[in-house]
Amino acid sequence: MLEKNYLWRIYWRLAGVIMVCVVVALAVVSYFSHRVFDRELVPETEQKAATVGASVRALVLKATGYGIDFAQLYGVEQTFAEVFEENPEFAYMAITNTDGNVLFARGTEPIGARTHFRNPVVLQIAHETTDLSKAARVGQQYIVSMPINDAGKPLGVLHVGIDAAFVDHVLLEVLLDVVVVLVVSLFFTLELLNFMAGARLASGLGEFARQADRMRSGDFTATARIRANDEIGRLLRRIDSAIDHLNVRYEFLVGELQDKLRTASAQRREDLKPAQAALEQISKRLRFGSAPEAADGDEMNLNRIRAPLFAFILAEELTRSYLPTYVNQLIVAIPGISPQVVIGLPIMLFMLIVALGQPYLGSWSERVGRRKAMLVGAVIATFGFTGTALAYNLYDLILWRSLCALGYAMVFVAAQGYVLDRTGQQNRAQGFALFIGAIMVATVCGPSIGGILADNIGFRASFGVSALMALASILAIVRLPTTEVKLAVAKPVRGPRMREIMALIVNRRFMTLTGLAAMPAKIILTGVCFYLVPLYIVSIGNTSSMAGRMLMVYAVMMVLIVPLSASLSDATMRRDRYVSVGLIISGLSGLLLLLSDSFLVLFGVVFLLGLGQALSIAAQSALVAEHCQDEIRIYGHDAVYGVYRLLERLGNAMGPLIASLLVILWGYQGSFVALSALVLFCGIAFTIATHGPEWQPAEPAPS
Amino acid sequence: MGTIRVRFIIVALVVSFFAVGMAAFLNYFKYKSTISGIVKSRVLVIGRNIENSVQASLSVGMQFMELGTMNALLQREKASDRLIRGIDVFDQTGQILYSTERPRVGEKVANSWTEAAARSKTTEWGTEAADEYVAGISLKNNFDLTVGFLAMRYSAEEVERAAKVAGREILLASIFSFLGIALIAPLALIVVIRRFERDLRALEAAASHLEDRSEPALPTGSAFDSAIGNLRSSLRDANVALDDLRAKLDSVS
Repeated sequence: MLEKNYLWRIYWRLAGVIMVCVVVALAVVSYFSHRVFDRELVPETEQKAATVGASVRALVLKATGYGIDFAQLYGVEQTFAEVFEENPEFAYMAITNTDGNVLFARGTEPIGARTHFRNPVVLQIAHETTDLSKAARVGQQYIVSMPINDAGKPLGVLHVGIDAAFVDHVLLEVLLDVVVVLVVSLFFTLELLNFMAGARLASGLGEFARQADRMRSGDFTATARIRANDEIGRLLRRIDSAIDHLNVRYEFLVGELQDKLRTASAQRREDLKPAQAALEQISKRLRFGSAPEAADGDEMNLNRIRAPLFAFILAEELTRSYLPTYVNQLIVAIPGISPQVVIGLPIMLFMLIVALGQPYLGSWSERVGRRKAMLVGAVIATFGFTGTALAYNLYDLILWRSLCALGYAMVFVAAQGYVLDRTGQQNRAQGFALFIGAIMVATVCGPSIGGILADNIGFRASFGVSALMALASILAIVRLPTTEVKLAVAKPVRGPRMREIMALIVNRRFMTLTGLAAMPAKIILTGVCFYLVPLYIVSIGNTSSMAGRMLMVYAVMMVLIVPLSASLSDATMRRDRYVSVGLIISGLSGLLLLLSDSFLVLFGVVFLLGLGQALSIAAQSALVAEHCQDEIRIYGHDAVYGVYRLLERLGNAMGPLIASLLVILWGYQGSFVALSALVLFCGIAFTIATHGPEWQPAEPAPS
Repeated sequence: MGTIRVRFIIVALVVSFFAVGMAAFLNYFKYKSTISGIVKSRVLVIGRNIENSVQASLSVGMQFMELGTMNALLQREKASDRLIRGIDVFDQTGQILYSTERPRVGEKVANSWTEAAARSKTTEWGTEAADEYVAGISLKNNFDLTVGFLAMRYSAEEVERAAKVAGREILLASIFSFLGIALIAPLALIVVIRRFERDLRALEAAASHLEDRSEPALPTGSAFDSAIGNLRSSLRDANVALDDLRAKLDSVS
């Protein structure tokens, strides 16, 4: 593992340096943006203040026109309060008389205001008969002053104070998105390091380490590999060359000995016996000749799946934070179906196609070849995304999203197969870590960036970006090796049969794991994250960017906690406890909304949901192998896991449907609470069901 | 310059380009939406004045279709801000009832206006066309029923001009930031990966002397010292075995 840890240390150092550079660059861009905002927004706000002031002045003049004394006007402060409510950038309003004395005022008076009001230049404003307004910086405010003049008779001056910090508030909102960009940049950095240099470095250094191990064990067989023209490639070529020299020398000596033996007399044969013995010794200890083809896959080619998978999954993840809002815009009334259910329909259909398609697409991708299957899937999804961007209404949107789902299922299954084909028992976990890593990074980056894009360039253009990402994934898929790898020991994958499905869904032990843990976990995931959060956030006046940030919190929790909980649950062998605790935490998440509907509470909901899911997700599938040994023996590993995954994915499809039905009954908050209560109930039921002795962890098998 | 170093630098540049580009994009669109919001709310202030007048008329029993002073009011309010190109009042069907431009009365407004008004969850709504924006208010009677819509058309030029100026400056700042990174990042990266490159050089140097029979080189402190040592000793052992065979063969001849 030397090369992996060594490389990761280098990656983190590089990522650190790149992040520092990025932070400095972002600070520079933000500084100059602040200057532009300050310079351009303040005059525009001053003009707005003048317009608002003119409206207030009209009211004042109307009142004085009825004969009310200017100094005795009633309700002026209330009018000012109403202005503040509609224009939060205004911090202060006042009316002064012709001597500069304040008659009416509301808000935070800036330091030096009284002196400013008595300034002769300001006092002169009262005598202006035009709509003139003048602005000046007073303390922390820009004061816009305008005359109150009743048909040539000066009454006083109206002052509107603009908070100078309002530009900072505007930029603070941008700052949140910039932080998101920073987080995404960090993940991009690591992903790119791996894609552009790491894959080759890791495989090169891995090859070097393996070569050193082989030589130490006496294996000097020559490999006929083409080495890259970089530092590692040159190094491996030198080692290859040293091995080749040895092999040539060995063959020459063997040939010479055989020649001599062929032509030797009896006495001479006797003399050659020590040499023969030496050769036998060498043959026992050392191996020369040509190395057999690598049996357990090619690490370099395995790594090459990461980039296309990342790009493709990112295309889909980009849409997570705004898809329901987009559907809401294109919605058409479907008789007998509530709009809430209709909004969830495309998400539900997507999940259903993925759930039902995956078991069968696995064997299809094996037949046609992983690369070709990925290509077909990515092309279909690209059409799907383009169609979604141009969708006319809900009906064609459903068709386009179905294409996206089909493409997604194809690419996902084929990529999974690609990893399976190129890994053996020794490196399968490593292969899947790479596969899941690409998906997780896309899950962190996608929703947040998608939300930002949707808010700024619109939903349709954002789907266009997804189409471009899917297109980029096609270019990366094309670069995958054209030759398919199939391990001799690998059995063909098959989807579960109906008989197996029926037998397993009435199996108590299997359904305890699937019905009480896996399915509820998926229901709450898609119901809350893919349906409720994007819609609820927008319904309370927030943006898709905010929904994206929320979903990013979930994904970051998964990235940080899953590896930890996976290793801890494996080490303690109490996976059921991790699942119980995870489900209960997930179940408690939505109940937080009973306390308050504030935005921070929603943040807490997503945080807890991410934590709960991260604790239970890794342990769930491992529990199937641990506690369904009998079922695996009867139906086979593929069938048991096939049914497990199928039901789990059906949970994915049910999530938006259940959430939408709950929204009809109890609104968004009620839906959050009810979904969570359902999962909490399942969590408690799971804990009770797995309490008995039959669920105690088995003794670890002798290694 | 080594291939790996070049690759690392390319990664730094790609990531920086993404981050700086996204920051510029965010700042530009935030600026544009803020300035649009300011201008729109400025226009809506005038709209609120009209709305108050309409509601005052409706509250004294006048019919919405028969507000005699409406056109004059619209003209007066339009004159109060140079930004406003025209003001229309239309009914639920989209037919214009009052307007600052007489010929428009009786015409239908664009569907996007009525759709935007219907979609809005508050009384305010807005829509954008190529050269002009529309800020609107849904007019309600005393029973909170919508009787019609007020639409103020204003020039997109002001927003576009401001956005253009800001966009240019943000773009320039971003380009300079990126160029700054393009200069600094490679230098910083070189410092960081020096150790790695040294390790690689040591490895390469050791590999070039793999077949030497001399004593192994002193440890360089590289992470690969032990692996190099193993390689050398393995090769040496193999060569010794072959030397022995050679010697035995030679002894016979």
